[in-house]
Amino acid sequence: MSSRNRNILIVVGAIIAGIAARLLFPMGQPAISVKAEDIFGIPNFTNSMFVLLLVDIFLIVIAFLATRNMQMVPKGLQNFMEWVIEMMFNFFSSINKKWTPAAFPLLATIFLMVLVSNWTGLLPGFGSIGFCHAGEKQATLALNVKDPYAGLVPSPFAAAEGESKYLGCQPNESLVALFRAPTADLNLTLALALIAVFAIEYFGFRALGVGYLGKFFNVKGGPVGFIVGIFEFISEIARIPAFMFRLFGNIFAGEVLLIVMIFLLPLALPIPFYIFEVFVGFIQAFIFSVLTIAFIGLATEHHGDDHGHAEGAHH
Amino acid sequence: MEALGLNLPKLIYQIINFVLLMVILYALLYQRVLAMLAERRQRIEQSLKDAEQVKLQLANARRDYDAEIAKARQEAATIVAQAQERARAQEAEIVAQARREAERVRDEARTQAVQEREQLLREAKDQIAELVTLTASRVLDAELKASGHDKLIAESLSALGRRN
Repeated sequence: MSSRNRNILIVVGAIIAGIAARLLFPMGQPAISVKAEDIFGIPNFTNSMFVLLLVDIFLIVIAFLATRNMQMVPKGLQNFMEWVIEMMFNFFSSINKKWTPAAFPLLATIFLMVLVSNWTGLLPGFGSIGFCHAGEKQATLALNVKDPYAGLVPSPFAAAEGESKYLGCQPNESLVALFRAPTADLNLTLALALIAVFAIEYFGFRALGVGYLGKFFNVKGGPVGFIVGIFEFISEIARIPAFMFRLFGNIFAGEVLLIVMIFLLPLALPIPFYIFEVFVGFIQAFIFSVLTIAFIGLATEHHGDDHGHAEGAHH
Repeated sequence: MEALGLNLPKLIYQIINFVLLMVILYALLYQRVLAMLAERRQRIEQSLKDAEQVKLQLANARRDYDAEIAKARQEAATIVAQAQERARAQEAEIVAQARREAERVRDEARTQAVQEREQLLREAKDQIAELVTLTASRVLDAELKASGHDKLIAESLSALGRRN
């Protein structure tokens, strides 16, 4: 049997096994929560914060291990982290050479934290392990889809009358996941957006002083200049929701997509989407940090000057 | 906002968390790695510079070495030439001295021979004189006795034989 035929057989087998599993074990309707939920009964401590703490610990441990015993000829983890940091540094420098050294800790932390957070959402157990809570979920995006397999075949595992026919939470219960990707929580994406925009404004003031405000309140450029300045100001403010929802939307949508795919067919079908989500997780982390340095570059440029040699003209 | 889960304490928690993480990663990771990268870059540059320097020094050393070798060869040749010169001079000196010595020895031998001959001659003369005197006195004595010529001759001969 050629390897191609074998692969086709494996995929077909997985699809059949998936359908069989869905027939034998009916699932409750997948419930998707837009907001992160409190866990462990601690107020204001959500599942996404819990995972974020794990992400923090992971990054700190990696950083510690990589730099614990640094060698001039790097090996293993040190080598890998040096590669990661050098790649980031060179890439950010290629966008804005002047301000990368100052902004690098911010940019690198955004990238690493968002990347790891995005990818945690793809780990098994995320969104599926949790606590069943009685009562309707708050702010739940209920997928209004019926289980396409329900009742097609009488399940041998079907419970007696009055008992649960579902594995996991009952229809009148809702699952509060223990783990949730931190970037699928608007609080984190808003926090990152605020930090990024604050940093952009900070570097703008640092480069241009009070004159930075002239970009937005332009009285010298006549009425057109003034209106352009106002638009600049609005677009500056608009970066916060743009940053916030771009990241949240991509990651949250990815999770929803995977849940739906798993709901439809637990085996084989979600695999390409998982691969796609790995890519999306990277791209979003990349975009967030790259946009931050790009906006820092714009903010530190002189108003009205040609792009590129604004800094030189000033000093 | 509440429906989306936005909540001020959580937001503040996230901001603090991010800032703390950034500070920790800066101290633990970025600073060290960037310092290491800079140090390595500098070391590599230094090494390349050093290698260039070493190459230059090597070339210089090679040149010096060649020059030294050439000089040494030249000196050796000079020394050998001088030694040969000196040896030749010494040889000539020795030969001359030997010649002088031989001359001296020959002269001495000659002088000695002459002296010995003269002494022999003197002694011979003395003996002859003595003999003559003796013979004469015997002859005279015999003439006086007028007898025994033969006896006289035999006595003289035996006397001669005893002296020698």
